[in-house]
Amino acid sequence: MELLDRYLEAVKKHLPWQRQDDILAELKANLEAQLEDKEAELGRPLTPGEAEDWLKQLGHPIQVAARYQPQRSLIGPSLFPYYWYVMKVALIVTAIVYVIATLVQIATQTPAEMNVLAVLLRLPDGLMRTAAWVTLVFALIEFGAARCPQKFPMLVPPTNHWLPSDLPSFMQRHGGGKKPRSFAHAVTEVIFGILFLLWWLLLPQHPYLLIGPAAFHMQSWSQFASPFQLAPAWVQFYWWVVGVNALQLAWRIAALIRGDWQRPRRAQNIVISAIGLIPVWLLLTVPNHAYLTLQHPALDMAHYCAAMNAINQLIHWNVLGIGILICLLLAWEIGSSGVNAYRKRTAAMQ
Amino acid sequence: MTLTENLFDNLRLELRRGCLTLAVLAELHQEYYGYTLRKALAERGLEIDESTLYPLLRRLEAQGLLSSEWREEEKRNKRFYRLSSDGEEIFGQLLNEWKTINASINKIL
Repeated sequence: MELLDRYLEAVKKHLPWQRQDDILAELKANLEAQLEDKEAELGRPLTPGEAEDWLKQLGHPIQVAARYQPQRSLIGPSLFPYYWYVMKVALIVTAIVYVIATLVQIATQTPAEMNVLAVLLRLPDGLMRTAAWVTLVFALIEFGAARCPQKFPMLVPPTNHWLPSDLPSFMQRHGGGKKPRSFAHAVTEVIFGILFLLWWLLLPQHPYLLIGPAAFHMQSWSQFASPFQLAPAWVQFYWWVVGVNALQLAWRIAALIRGDWQRPRRAQNIVISAIGLIPVWLLLTVPNHAYLTLQHPALDMAHYCAAMNAINQLIHWNVLGIGILICLLLAWEIGSSGVNAYRKRTAAMQ
Repeated sequence: MTLTENLFDNLRLELRRGCLTLAVLAELHQEYYGYTLRKALAERGLEIDESTLYPLLRRLEAQGLLSSEWREEEKRNKRFYRLSSDGEEIFGQLLNEWKTINASINKIL
């Protein structure tokens, strides 16, 4: 029957090419046998209309051929949760990098040099590139794991290599009764951590970010230049602050990547608070609390000595206040950890 | 098609999928080619579309549960299928599983 041949030819186009002829021969034999049965039942050949109805009922050639294809997916259901998690982290990191790059560009270029549209379009472009790369990598993993699971056992998601006892305990998850931190909260902390660090790093070149128009008076060429200069202890203080914040940020990003941002961070907080005391201690031990000194003592001592001493005293009291605050926070964290450990021990004994 | 009908169709498809495999394996203790197998199943009350059965036979063969050979019958080359030794073993396990599920469902109902 000509219509059946046309139908089979249409199916053939969409069959897997390695087994095309074999599948088609089998399908043809089955359908011809079915046709013979139908015609024997009717006692006559099928009319063109009946033949058309019969073939239509078999299904569209593409659908029929598709059933012979192996089940295919770019990223299968077992790998998909990992893919989705990596995608979220990668997109967040991309967005953060974009924000940093944009802020650096804003800080280092004049508005005239900047193409605002290009800067704005960089984020969606970057996000799409990241998404494409993550998808490509996971598609390759899926391909390797599906084709050769024995050769690449490391590519098969480790669904069996985990222990329920490794999961965070209920007490840990809920931070001793507090609501666990949300993903958005954790991401916001990272973003603000980066923004703070960036702002802090830009301060030496752009003091106006801290003191606004008063930065003008710090320029030595200005006729209103300040007679004061910062003591060398501030340089050490500055880099200690960079170090403490970088450490905290790295810790938060690692928690985000590991997926355990909900865990309470008492140990981290204790370490950060303890290290945070070092720069404060550096300032508190500056000889004679000389945080500011005169640029030209011989010329300005008589005129600015009293003002300088007053400012230095004020800075000293402020630094001392900050030091006390950090000590209190540290004591609170240590105390809370002790209480939690005691509760856990008591709960385990019951 | 309404949402409920669509949902029913999907659930029915899921429910039938495993049962069809079991029925095909059971029927292929005896040798059949595609069309006669379909007729045999239909005679016992289990209708299967051509577009479901023929690819299923291929898949089960690729998994080693069926063996097949091309042979001429009534002046036409046909591919005959039969349960392989691996297929026998898997069929026994599946049948036990099905009986257990069936008994449990009957108790629940």
